[in-house]
Amino acid sequence: MIKRRMGAVLDRGLAPLLLIPSVLLLLLILVGPFLYMVWTAFTDLHYALPGRAGSFVGFDNFRRLMREDQIFWHSFLLTLRFVFWVVVVEFTAGFSLALLLFHFIQRRRLFLTLLLVPMMLAPVAVGLIWKLLLQGDFGMVTYYLRWIGIIDTRTALLSDPALVLLTIIFIDVWQWTPFVTLIMLAGLLSLPREPYEAAIMDGARPLQIFRDVTLPLLRPIIALVLLLRGIDAFKEFDKVFILTGGGPGTATELLSVYTYRVNFKDWDLGYGAVCAFMVYLVVLILCAVFYKAVFWHESRAPARKA
Amino acid sequence: MARAWRTAALAAVIAVLLLLLLPYLWIFLTSFKTRLDALADVPVWVFTPTYDHYPEVFINKGYLPLVWNSIIVAVLSTALSLVVGAPAAYVFARFDFTGREDLFFFFLTTRMAPPISVVVPMFLLFTTLGITDKPIAVILAHTTFNLSLVVWMMRGFFNDIPREIDEAAMMDGHSQLGTFLKILIPLAAPGLAATAVLCFILSWNEFLYAFILVAFEGRTLTVGIPGLITPHGTLWGQVAAVAVVATLPILVFTFIVQRHLVRGLTFGAVKG
Repeated sequence: MIKRRMGAVLDRGLAPLLLIPSVLLLLLILVGPFLYMVWTAFTDLHYALPGRAGSFVGFDNFRRLMREDQIFWHSFLLTLRFVFWVVVVEFTAGFSLALLLFHFIQRRRLFLTLLLVPMMLAPVAVGLIWKLLLQGDFGMVTYYLRWIGIIDTRTALLSDPALVLLTIIFIDVWQWTPFVTLIMLAGLLSLPREPYEAAIMDGARPLQIFRDVTLPLLRPIIALVLLLRGIDAFKEFDKVFILTGGGPGTATELLSVYTYRVNFKDWDLGYGAVCAFMVYLVVLILCAVFYKAVFWHESRAPARKA
Repeated sequence: MARAWRTAALAAVIAVLLLLLLPYLWIFLTSFKTRLDALADVPVWVFTPTYDHYPEVFINKGYLPLVWNSIIVAVLSTALSLVVGAPAAYVFARFDFTGREDLFFFFLTTRMAPPISVVVPMFLLFTTLGITDKPIAVILAHTTFNLSLVVWMMRGFFNDIPREIDEAAMMDGHSQLGTFLKILIPLAAPGLAATAVLCFILSWNEFLYAFILVAFEGRTLTVGIPGLITPHGTLWGQVAAVAVVATLPILVFTFIVQRHLVRGLTFGAVKG
């Protein structure tokens, strides 16, 4: 009886008791640094120059970003191009593969298991693997591409300014197309049967069914996949860092690689904070779109009290 | 006709799989190749294996402690995320309160936060606190994404358990806390295990946080990788050996949690 009453007292404060540690921890390790970053963005903090100990400079860093820093905007556009192509190619290829598996192959368990390999590898390891494969003088892929005649004997894909972005895009496609396949296949398998039966009764042709039944039903999952891949690609760092370090020149200097350079190579931390803030801002916006597109309806449904 | 289509589809799928798997096979083979075979102009597929690279890089070059660091960081970050995150997930699944969905959205933003943006101020703060180059720095950093992964995934798993079970347990005289600890946690154990494995994988694979926050003693395996690549004379056999050790355990884990992977990768939006 006493135990039960103790339980009741505990229960009254249970929800906050269980919730607060997680919120506090996130405030400590995420919101804290975020606020510190915003503060740093208004200072001239610089680890490599004397006399730049972090005094307040107002909007100087922001002004520099908007007016003077062409490399930042080059990186920004480069990142958008990277994200666009990566998402388009991965979605098209991944969805096609999912449709193949869904329609033509019954026993696909083993296929799916093997499909997972590239996306579960550490991105750094993926970078390393492709660096080995694409070496100019002894890379396996380089050798066969030259043998087929796709590239000539002097071209090395990772050091050719005209081809390097394409190469990076291809490597990301190699790693993440299976992700799209996996999610889209799960989506296809979760579709209800009734609309299909009705469509067949109406005499619809397979392509019509795909366009008028499958695609609309899959819309939430398509939105989910596009946004998840988009956000992830926007943050890309590891593979590019290992493969090219942003080079040759600035040909593959994506936004996060540039932000890395400003902060940890130039040690220009005040200005670097502005760059970091911009990356954060874009991701937050994409994140809000993601939430609205994918979770809004289901999570706004009122939950009963336990 | 249908048969021909099926064969064509099968051929296409197998071709794609080869394309996806050959690169990994190649690094695996390279880790057993002599320097001569690894650097041959014409790719060498059949060769007499050497087993020297693994002991050379892990024992003589001292990469073994990096494996240990990776394990420590991944295990402790996973544990911290589960202990703090699972109760929060339970609250999100079972209680109704104002601002619940906004708070939930906040958790989502932490999962998506770009590492390059978080790590800059984190580096400055941790330097002030004097905890850079210690495992705790990376553990805390990895908790930024693992904690919200736990909250998002476990909320789904708790939602899958019918509320009638809670009600029955309370009728039997369990307190709400007791119901959570003694009834719901055991019922959600498979989900909890899958979430834990996924957290472990994410932490083990992570590079940028670890790369910035630790430099010497505390380095994890992924951080050790760039150091092996030099402009001239990279020892590819040893590089490959490190890459294999950094990835093979993860592939094994992946096969264990395959069933829950879709849910984990989509924040519970797709059940899989």
